Amino acid sequence: MNFSVLTSQFWSLCLSGISLGLIYVLISLGYTMVYGVLRLINFANSEIFMVGTFATVWVETGLTGHTSGSSPIHGFQLIYTLLFALVVAMLSSGITALAVEFFAYRRLRAKGTNRLASLISAIGMSIVLSESARILTHSRPQANPRLLEKSSLGHFAGANFRVDTVLVVVSALLMFIALDRFVNKSRLGKAIRAVSMSEENAKLMGINLNRVISVTFLIGGLMTGAASFFFMTVYETTKFNVGFNLGLAAFTAAVLGGIGNLRGAFFGGISLGLLETMSAAVLGSQWKSVTVFVVLVLVLLVRPNGIFGEAIQQTRV
Amino acid sequence: MNLKNINLRDKGAALWESWDRPRRTIFVIALIGLVILMPFAGNFSFTSILDTPIASYQDVLVYPIGMFVLMALGLNIVVGKSGLLDLGYVAFFAIGAYTQAILGTKTHLNAWEILPIGMGLAMLSGVLLGLPTLRLRGDYLAIVTLGFGEIVRIVTLNISITGGTNGIARIPGPPEIAGLKFDIMHPVNYFWLVFGMILLVIWMIRRLSVRRPGRAWEAIRQDEDVAMLMGVATLRYKIWSFSIGAAVGGAAGVIYAAKVLVIAPQMFTFNVSVLILSCIVFGGMGNMWGVVFGGVILAYIPERIRFITNARQLVFGLVLVVIMNLRPDGLLPRKKREKIKAKRAVDNV
Amino acid sequence: MNKNSTRVLGAAAAAFLALGTLTATHAQAATTVTLAFQSPLTGDAAQAGQDELAGAKYALAVYNASKPAVKVNLIQVDDQGSGSVAATVAPGVAKNKAVIGVIGSAYSGASANSFPFYIAAGLTMVSPSASRVTLTTPQAPDFGGPVFHRVVGNDSVQGPALARYATKGVTAPAVYLVDDQSPYGAGLAQYTVPGLAKVGAKTVGTDHILPTTGTDWSATTAKVKASGANVVIYCGYDIDAGAFVKSLRDGGYTGIFASGDGSATSSFAKAAGNAAAKDARLTEGDTPFDNVATAAQKKAFTAASGVKVAGGYATNTINATNVFLTCIKQGKTTRAAIATCVNTGKFPNFTGGTFSFESWGDIKGGAPIGAFKLDANGNIVYVGQA
Repeated sequence: MNFSVLTSQFWSLCLSGISLGLIYVLISLGYTMVYGVLRLINFANSEIFMVGTFATVWVETGLTGHTSGSSPIHGFQLIYTLLFALVVAMLSSGITALAVEFFAYRRLRAKGTNRLASLISAIGMSIVLSESARILTHSRPQANPRLLEKSSLGHFAGANFRVDTVLVVVSALLMFIALDRFVNKSRLGKAIRAVSMSEENAKLMGINLNRVISVTFLIGGLMTGAASFFFMTVYETTKFNVGFNLGLAAFTAAVLGGIGNLRGAFFGGISLGLLETMSAAVLGSQWKSVTVFVVLVLVLLVRPNGIFGEAIQQTRV
Repeated sequence: MNLKNINLRDKGAALWESWDRPRRTIFVIALIGLVILMPFAGNFSFTSILDTPIASYQDVLVYPIGMFVLMALGLNIVVGKSGLLDLGYVAFFAIGAYTQAILGTKTHLNAWEILPIGMGLAMLSGVLLGLPTLRLRGDYLAIVTLGFGEIVRIVTLNISITGGTNGIARIPGPPEIAGLKFDIMHPVNYFWLVFGMILLVIWMIRRLSVRRPGRAWEAIRQDEDVAMLMGVATLRYKIWSFSIGAAVGGAAGVIYAAKVLVIAPQMFTFNVSVLILSCIVFGGMGNMWGVVFGGVILAYIPERIRFITNARQLVFGLVLVVIMNLRPDGLLPRKKREKIKAKRAVDNV
Repeated sequence: MNKNSTRVLGAAAAAFLALGTLTATHAQAATTVTLAFQSPLTGDAAQAGQDELAGAKYALAVYNASKPAVKVNLIQVDDQGSGSVAATVAPGVAKNKAVIGVIGSAYSGASANSFPFYIAAGLTMVSPSASRVTLTTPQAPDFGGPVFHRVVGNDSVQGPALARYATKGVTAPAVYLVDDQSPYGAGLAQYTVPGLAKVGAKTVGTDHILPTTGTDWSATTAKVKASGANVVIYCGYDIDAGAFVKSLRDGGYTGIFASGDGSATSSFAKAAGNAAAKDARLTEGDTPFDNVATAAQKKAFTAASGVKVAGGYATNTINATNVFLTCIKQGKTTRAAIATCVNTGKFPNFTGGTFSFESWGDIKGGAPIGAFKLDANGNIVYVGQA
């Protein structure tokens, strides 16, 4: 137990907790969107994330010729490179998500089979993706050059507002708001919500089910890809197995908030980021995940469908 | 003929139904005899194709094959029979293994005496976990059990009695029974032991399936609300299913620790839970023979293809994707009758 | 899928398996012996094994290029760094009569699970990197004698050396000690603590992370800053060490960062970025291949292994492989002959000189621990003995 760290570093911990939490939020959208329409845990989402991180590295090193020794760049060139990396990361993850949907889910869904079959084929896809990445990279970590200088924008109560943290917080918030608007207001978003409420009725209303599901995977993939770009901007290092723990955390976040619910994922992600950071500081990093799961169980005991979850229908195995 | 319409399970069942008692008995005895002879297939003329490159065939039969089948059968009670998605089954395996490791090295109890203790502790933890969490439905239960599996591993890493990250070494093997020695020179005996345990579990599941608990689990799996309305004490039977599954996992753990001699927390990761679950779904959920078959295949493939060193796991992943797509209900699915019901249930969600 | 394609698929699968049987049994000519290379080659821990495999391939290529009388084959034994898998492959390797020695295992845990089988079979092991102290402690339950040897300094040598070097030249050192809860990291940390007491350093805090790629280090960084430490020691592997030192530097920590040989690879600077890695202090029971190899050797290394830049423990693996190759050159081609030869012989050290083994398996006189420092370009520079 180490409470003294809270007095001196509280705001600094809050800031990093929130920025970590927002990355969780974006990844958990990949889980929660898919869960909303299919009632399935997309286990391959962690590898969709991994693909995005490698795409970011590829843009920032292979394509622009920077190395880990390169000095940060500025001005228009910086904005251009970062935006390009963001787009490529989102697209790669999005395309991977579509591929996952096609290879692991579509056939099985057409057969109307049990849910666990898709779970296992998704796990299979996840093994295929991460092992391919491992073989291609000789099992070595890949790193981003530091293109964005992590200079300080100012201090507040001991917390250092760094450019990268602020960038992540602001952009992730914007993306989330955009997605929230899209799902609630646009025609396609309404179709997604209709499918998540009742597949049968949505079909009767003339909604093209396959298309909506593909779009859902695509959006989940795009958001996860954005998360991987932000992750690489802050943490700068990746490896073939990077997705596993982040994916697990993001999935936990989705459940905490109420899986299938966008705002729930937002709340869950932020709470999880804060909870992990605070418990690692106070209890020690080794008890981080234990704390998370104990809190999760306590929350679920009071609200069995997560904090924001509506009483979704009973799901069967 | 269309591959997806072949239901070996139904064909086998039809054949079985058409047999009279003596014929059934002969078949069962022949089958058991064949499995007992399996350890020697690795050096026998044409069956030597079964031999595993690099890894020792006879040890592969014990772990992963035997252990996976045993655990898959245990987990099948929870997932296949009662429809509760448990992603932390490795916890019970770990509890059994650590019971054997700690009691075996610190007390004079031998593995046969520790076996019931390990099973009891696994059951107890199943009940303690189940009481608060089995009220949760579907995937919420999945994440909580997943968390439990991780918590058990993290705790074994951080307390001293489990030896921390280095684990516990020189775990004693079981004393010999009926002239069968249990040590590293005799993996065959371990295989027969595990096979015996598998037969016991199969027998137990068959007994339970046709009695009240089996019917209650079936009802819960098909529709929990209806089951509750019909007067089934759902929570109680769910806890039963959970703790019987846990006991099987615990028993597997005790024997495994004695066989492997050194255990450490890295052996009990989430991957094990996922693999065991894959065995069930891959083989055919809810159908015992499918589960056995799935366990054998999924444990065996990675060992058999060791000659493609670097891409071994990749091929394993591909096999999962391809087979699940070709046979979504598993290799040996449960009875058609039940399947139609299950499909209806899914459509109604 | 129709019946025909099912048949084709079945035939293909059968052919595939038959091929495997062929490749597995074929290598048994009269003047050929086999060495097993046991390490994690797939899965999460694959990096260590794949890096070491490159070293073994290089040593073997050099040997085979010298047109020796006895040819040497290498079989790759993947234990995934896991004791469970090791306990399945080790009996298989032990039963394979062609195998006369085992290079590995890379990990202490997998080594401990392999011991019973190799001890029973009298099969000699030389590990490039398994550094858990008890593996060569005769009273310990996981003692690997008489078959186990290692060319890496164990943690009881490495820990104090790390403590000495980390605090060197620091007035009033206040140390924050972090480990990654792996058998390697926790073991090293355990033996660093008494080393710190010996040099009069104060330990102002400890933390134990779970070793996963993508860990967020900000909480640990905050604790380091709150503790007022001026030396941070990390016991764990390269990529995590890199991420940690980056988080520390970004968080404004300006003191010393030190780590052990798990971090002494090019991946450390890669993960940290050259700026954050600069001046990090590393101790190592292995000398980075690139620091000692000539240009021609580097080229041959890439040609033999297909790996551009040598990774961790490459030099140690070359030494471990050469232990066996030296014995085979002397005509020792049985397990018993190899065992005697390894226990009594003198072997060439890739970095110069020779070494031999103590009866319990460690290098005589203790493996030297080198002190290294990162320069501004991310290169690991040798600065002397730690």
